[in-house]
Amino acid sequence: MQLASSQLAQVPLIVIDGECDHGSAEALRAAVEEALSADPLAILLDLENCTYIDSGGISVLLGAVRRLRGRGWLGVLAPNDNVRRLLEIVGLTAGAGFRVFDHRDDASRALEELRG
Amino acid sequence: MMRDATARPDPSSEGGRCLRFSVQPQAARLAEIRRFVEEVGGEFGLDAGRVFDLKVAVSEACANAVEHSGSAHAPLELCAWFHPDRLVFEIADSGDFRVPQAERGSRADSRGLGLPLMVALMDEVRIRKTPGGGTNVTLSLFTKG
Repeated sequence: MQLASSQLAQVPLIVIDGECDHGSAEALRAAVEEALSADPLAILLDLENCTYIDSGGISVLLGAVRRLRGRGWLGVLAPNDNVRRLLEIVGLTAGAGFRVFDHRDDASRALEELRG
Repeated sequence: MMRDATARPDPSSEGGRCLRFSVQPQAARLAEIRRFVEEVGGEFGLDAGRVFDLKVAVSEACANAVEHSGSAHAPLELCAWFHPDRLVFEIADSGDFRVPQAERGSRADSRGLGLPLMVALMDEVRIRKTPGGGTNVTLSLFTKG
Protein backbone atom coordinates (compact mmCIF):
# COMPACT_ATOMS: atom_id res chain seq x y z
CA MET A 1 0.00 0.00 0.00
CA GLN A 2 1.23 3.46 -0.93
CA LEU A 3 -0.13 6.65 0.63
CA ALA A 4 0.03 10.22 -0.67
CA SER A 5 -1.22 13.14 1.40
CA SER A 6 -2.33 16.45 -0.07
CA GLN A 7 -5.36 18.74 0.10
CA LEU A 8 -8.62 19.22 -1.75
CA ALA A 9 -10.80 22.26 -1.11
CA GLN A 10 -8.77 23.04 2.02
CA VAL A 11 -9.24 19.69 3.71
CA PRO A 12 -6.75 16.81 3.92
CA LEU A 13 -6.84 14.31 1.07
CA ILE A 14 -5.12 10.94 1.45
CA VAL A 15 -4.75 8.80 -1.66
CA ILE A 16 -4.58 5.06 -0.93
CA ASP A 17 -2.95 2.95 -3.60
CA GLY A 18 -3.02 -0.83 -3.23
CA GLU A 19 -4.14 -3.12 -0.42
CA CYS A 20 -5.04 -1.81 3.03
CA ASP A 21 -4.97 -4.69 5.49
CA HIS A 22 -3.99 -5.49 9.07
CA GLY A 23 -0.36 -5.25 8.08
CA SER A 24 -0.55 -1.83 6.44
CA ALA A 25 -3.34 -0.17 8.43
CA GLU A 26 -0.91 1.38 10.90
CA ALA A 27 0.56 3.54 8.14
CA LEU A 28 -2.93 4.72 7.23
CA ARG A 29 -3.70 5.33 10.88
CA ALA A 30 -0.62 7.55 11.15
CA ALA A 31 -1.56 9.49 8.01
CA VAL A 32 -5.10 10.03 9.31
CA GLU A 33 -3.75 11.14 12.70
CA GLU A 34 -1.53 13.64 10.94
CA ALA A 35 -4.52 14.91 8.95
CA LEU A 36 -6.65 15.21 12.09
CA SER A 37 -3.98 17.18 13.93
CA ALA A 38 -5.02 20.36 12.09
CA ASP A 39 -8.66 19.97 13.25
CA PRO A 40 -10.11 19.87 9.73
CA LEU A 41 -13.86 19.98 9.05
CA ALA A 42 -13.54 16.81 7.01
CA ILE A 43 -11.02 14.33 5.66
CA LEU A 44 -11.08 12.78 2.22
CA LEU A 45 -9.70 9.36 1.34
CA ASP A 46 -9.26 8.64 -2.36
CA LEU A 47 -10.00 4.91 -2.74
CA GLU A 48 -10.05 4.76 -6.53
CA ASN A 49 -6.88 2.68 -6.57
CA CYS A 50 -7.49 0.91 -3.29
CA THR A 51 -7.86 -2.68 -4.44
CA TYR A 52 -8.49 -4.29 -1.07
CA ILE A 53 -9.52 -3.34 2.45
CA ASP A 54 -10.44 -5.38 5.51
CA SER A 55 -11.21 -4.69 9.14
CA GLY A 56 -7.65 -3.47 9.62
CA GLY A 57 -8.28 -0.53 7.31
CA ILE A 58 -11.96 -0.20 8.14
CA SER A 59 -11.07 0.33 11.80
CA VAL A 60 -9.07 3.41 10.79
CA LEU A 61 -12.08 4.75 8.87
CA LEU A 62 -14.36 4.13 11.87
CA GLY A 63 -11.92 5.93 14.13
CA ALA A 64 -11.79 8.93 11.79
CA VAL A 65 -15.58 9.12 11.63
CA ARG A 66 -15.71 9.16 15.40
CA ARG A 67 -13.05 11.86 15.68
CA LEU A 68 -14.79 14.08 13.13
CA ARG A 69 -18.21 13.71 14.74
CA GLY A 70 -19.91 17.01 15.45
CA ARG A 71 -17.63 18.84 13.03
CA GLY A 72 -18.06 17.23 9.64
CA TRP A 73 -17.48 13.90 7.99
CA LEU A 74 -15.08 11.42 6.51
CA GLY A 75 -15.48 11.28 2.75
CA VAL A 76 -14.25 8.49 0.49
CA LEU A 77 -13.74 8.95 -3.22
CA ALA A 78 -14.53 6.41 -5.91
CA PRO A 79 -14.29 3.10 -4.03
CA ASN A 80 -14.57 0.09 -6.31
CA ASP A 81 -17.70 -2.06 -6.06
CA ASN A 82 -16.11 -4.62 -3.75
CA VAL A 83 -14.74 -2.05 -1.33
CA ARG A 84 -18.03 -0.13 -1.39
CA ARG A 85 -19.97 -3.31 -0.58
CA LEU A 86 -17.72 -3.93 2.41
CA LEU A 87 -18.23 -0.37 3.69
CA GLU A 88 -21.98 -0.98 3.42
CA ILE A 89 -21.79 -4.30 5.28
CA VAL A 90 -20.05 -2.75 8.27
CA GLY A 91 -22.62 0.03 8.36
CA LEU A 92 -20.29 2.91 7.53
CA THR A 93 -22.28 4.18 4.56
CA ALA A 94 -25.47 4.44 6.63
CA GLY A 95 -23.92 6.85 9.12
CA ALA A 96 -24.21 10.64 9.00
CA GLY A 97 -20.49 11.08 9.53
CA PHE A 98 -19.51 9.21 6.39
CA ARG A 99 -19.89 10.21 2.73
CA VAL A 100 -19.13 8.43 -0.53
CA PHE A 101 -18.34 10.49 -3.65
CA ASP A 102 -17.89 9.32 -7.20
CA HIS A 103 -15.88 12.37 -8.25
CA ARG A 104 -13.68 14.97 -6.61
CA ASP A 105 -16.03 17.72 -7.84
CA ASP A 106 -18.85 16.16 -5.82
CA ALA A 107 -16.65 16.20 -2.73
CA SER A 108 -15.71 19.84 -3.32
CA ARG A 109 -19.37 20.82 -3.61
CA ALA A 110 -20.25 18.93 -0.43
CA LEU A 111 -17.44 20.73 1.39
CA GLU A 112 -18.82 24.08 0.27
CA GLU A 113 -22.20 23.09 1.69
CA LEU A 114 -20.57 21.95 4.91
CA ARG A 115 -18.96 25.34 5.33
CA GLY A 116 -22.32 26.99 4.63
CA MET B 1 -12.28 -31.32 23.17
CA MET B 2 -12.35 -33.90 20.41
CA ARG B 3 -13.62 -33.27 16.96
CA ASP B 4 -16.98 -34.91 16.49
CA ALA B 5 -16.56 -36.43 13.07
CA THR B 6 -20.12 -37.69 13.01
CA ALA B 7 -21.94 -34.46 13.66
CA ARG B 8 -19.44 -32.15 12.00
CA PRO B 9 -17.39 -33.91 9.39
CA ASP B 10 -13.89 -32.67 8.93
CA PRO B 11 -13.52 -31.30 5.39
CA SER B 12 -10.62 -33.68 4.90
CA SER B 13 -12.83 -36.70 5.50
CA GLU B 14 -15.08 -35.94 2.57
CA GLY B 15 -12.75 -36.87 -0.20
CA GLY B 16 -12.28 -33.51 -1.85
CA ARG B 17 -9.04 -32.35 -3.44
CA CYS B 18 -7.10 -29.86 -1.37
CA LEU B 19 -4.43 -27.21 -1.83
CA ARG B 20 -2.31 -26.34 1.19
CA PHE B 21 -0.48 -23.22 2.24
CA SER B 22 1.58 -22.84 5.37
CA VAL B 23 2.66 -19.41 6.62
CA GLN B 24 4.03 -17.75 9.75
CA PRO B 25 1.28 -15.94 11.69
CA GLN B 26 2.42 -12.38 10.97
CA ALA B 27 0.39 -9.45 9.66
CA ALA B 28 3.08 -8.85 7.04
CA ARG B 29 2.28 -12.26 5.51
CA LEU B 30 -1.40 -11.55 4.91
CA ALA B 31 -0.73 -10.36 1.35
CA GLU B 32 0.83 -13.75 0.50
CA ILE B 33 -2.24 -15.45 1.90
CA ARG B 34 -4.44 -13.33 -0.37
CA ARG B 35 -2.38 -14.33 -3.42
CA PHE B 36 -3.02 -17.96 -2.45
CA VAL B 37 -6.74 -17.25 -2.11
CA GLU B 38 -6.76 -15.60 -5.55
CA GLU B 39 -5.14 -18.68 -7.08
CA VAL B 40 -7.61 -21.01 -5.40
CA GLY B 41 -10.62 -18.85 -6.24
CA GLY B 42 -9.56 -18.60 -9.87
CA GLU B 43 -9.05 -22.32 -10.11
CA PHE B 44 -12.44 -22.97 -8.56
CA GLY B 45 -14.03 -20.58 -11.04
CA LEU B 46 -15.26 -17.92 -8.63
CA ASP B 47 -16.04 -14.49 -10.07
CA ALA B 48 -13.97 -11.50 -8.99
CA GLY B 49 -16.50 -10.37 -6.39
CA ARG B 50 -16.59 -13.74 -4.68
CA VAL B 51 -12.80 -13.92 -4.75
CA PHE B 52 -12.71 -10.53 -3.02
CA ASP B 53 -15.17 -11.76 -0.36
CA LEU B 54 -13.10 -14.87 0.19
CA LYS B 55 -9.90 -12.83 0.50
CA VAL B 56 -11.49 -10.65 3.17
CA ALA B 57 -12.97 -13.59 5.10
CA VAL B 58 -9.73 -15.60 5.01
CA SER B 59 -7.73 -12.50 5.96
CA GLU B 60 -10.00 -11.85 8.92
CA ALA B 61 -9.64 -15.42 10.12
CA CYS B 62 -5.86 -15.24 9.70
CA ALA B 63 -5.60 -11.77 11.27
CA ASN B 64 -7.46 -13.14 14.25
CA ALA B 65 -4.96 -15.95 14.49
CA VAL B 66 -2.07 -13.50 14.12
CA GLU B 67 -3.36 -11.32 16.95
CA HIS B 68 -3.99 -14.08 19.44
CA SER B 69 -1.09 -16.24 18.46
CA GLY B 70 0.84 -16.88 21.61
CA SER B 71 3.12 -19.20 19.69
CA ALA B 72 4.39 -16.99 16.92
CA HIS B 73 6.62 -19.79 15.66
CA ALA B 74 3.83 -22.23 14.91
CA PRO B 75 2.68 -21.64 11.35
CA LEU B 76 -0.83 -21.01 10.21
CA GLU B 77 -2.03 -23.93 8.13
CA LEU B 78 -4.43 -23.15 5.31
CA CYS B 79 -6.21 -25.79 3.26
CA ALA B 80 -8.54 -25.11 0.37
CA TRP B 81 -10.89 -28.03 -0.23
CA PHE B 82 -12.42 -28.36 -3.69
CA HIS B 83 -15.82 -30.02 -3.69
CA PRO B 84 -18.30 -30.16 -6.57
CA ASP B 85 -20.84 -28.05 -4.69
CA ARG B 86 -18.60 -25.85 -2.55
CA LEU B 87 -15.18 -24.43 -1.82
CA VAL B 88 -14.08 -24.83 1.80
CA PHE B 89 -11.21 -22.85 3.28
CA GLU B 90 -9.80 -24.25 6.49
CA ILE B 91 -7.54 -22.09 8.67
CA ALA B 92 -5.87 -23.86 11.57
CA ASP B 93 -3.72 -22.25 14.23
CA SER B 94 -2.45 -23.10 17.66
CA GLY B 95 -4.13 -20.37 19.70
CA ASP B 96 -7.54 -19.49 21.06
CA PHE B 97 -10.05 -17.66 18.90
CA ARG B 98 -10.13 -14.01 19.96
CA VAL B 99 -13.23 -13.07 21.92
CA PRO B 100 -14.16 -9.59 20.69
CA GLN B 101 -15.93 -8.44 23.87
CA ALA B 102 -12.85 -9.08 25.94
CA GLU B 103 -10.67 -6.74 23.93
CA ARG B 104 -9.70 -3.28 25.09
CA GLY B 105 -7.36 -0.59 23.94
CA SER B 106 -6.84 2.14 21.41
CA ARG B 107 -7.43 -0.16 18.47
CA ALA B 108 -10.86 -1.11 19.74
CA ASP B 109 -12.49 -0.03 16.47
CA SER B 110 -11.51 -3.19 14.65
CA ARG B 111 -12.34 -5.48 17.55
CA GLY B 112 -15.27 -7.62 16.75
CA LEU B 113 -15.53 -6.69 13.08
CA GLY B 114 -13.76 -9.77 11.79
CA LEU B 115 -16.31 -12.41 12.70
CA PRO B 116 -19.36 -10.45 11.47
CA LEU B 117 -17.53 -9.84 8.20
CA MET B 118 -16.77 -13.54 7.79
CA VAL B 119 -20.42 -14.40 8.44
CA ALA B 120 -21.69 -11.69 6.10
CA LEU B 121 -19.40 -12.67 3.23
CA MET B 122 -19.41 -16.48 3.45
CA ASP B 123 -22.19 -19.04 3.06
CA GLU B 124 -21.05 -20.92 6.13
CA VAL B 125 -18.58 -20.24 8.96
CA ARG B 126 -17.51 -22.78 11.56
CA ILE B 127 -15.12 -22.25 14.45
CA ARG B 128 -13.88 -25.24 16.41
CA LYS B 129 -11.33 -25.87 19.10
CA THR B 130 -8.83 -28.54 18.20
CA PRO B 131 -7.42 -31.18 20.54
CA GLY B 132 -3.97 -29.57 20.48
CA GLY B 133 -5.31 -26.31 21.94
CA GLY B 134 -5.66 -24.49 18.64
CA THR B 135 -8.53 -23.10 16.66
CA ASN B 136 -9.88 -24.31 13.35
CA VAL B 137 -11.97 -21.97 11.22
CA THR B 138 -13.74 -23.23 8.09
CA LEU B 139 -15.20 -20.82 5.57
CA SER B 140 -17.46 -22.23 2.86
CA LEU B 141 -18.78 -20.85 -0.39
CA PHE B 142 -21.48 -22.89 -2.10
CA THR B 143 -21.84 -22.99 -5.85
CA LYS B 144 -24.99 -21.22 -6.93
CA GLY B 145 -28.02 -22.93 -8.45
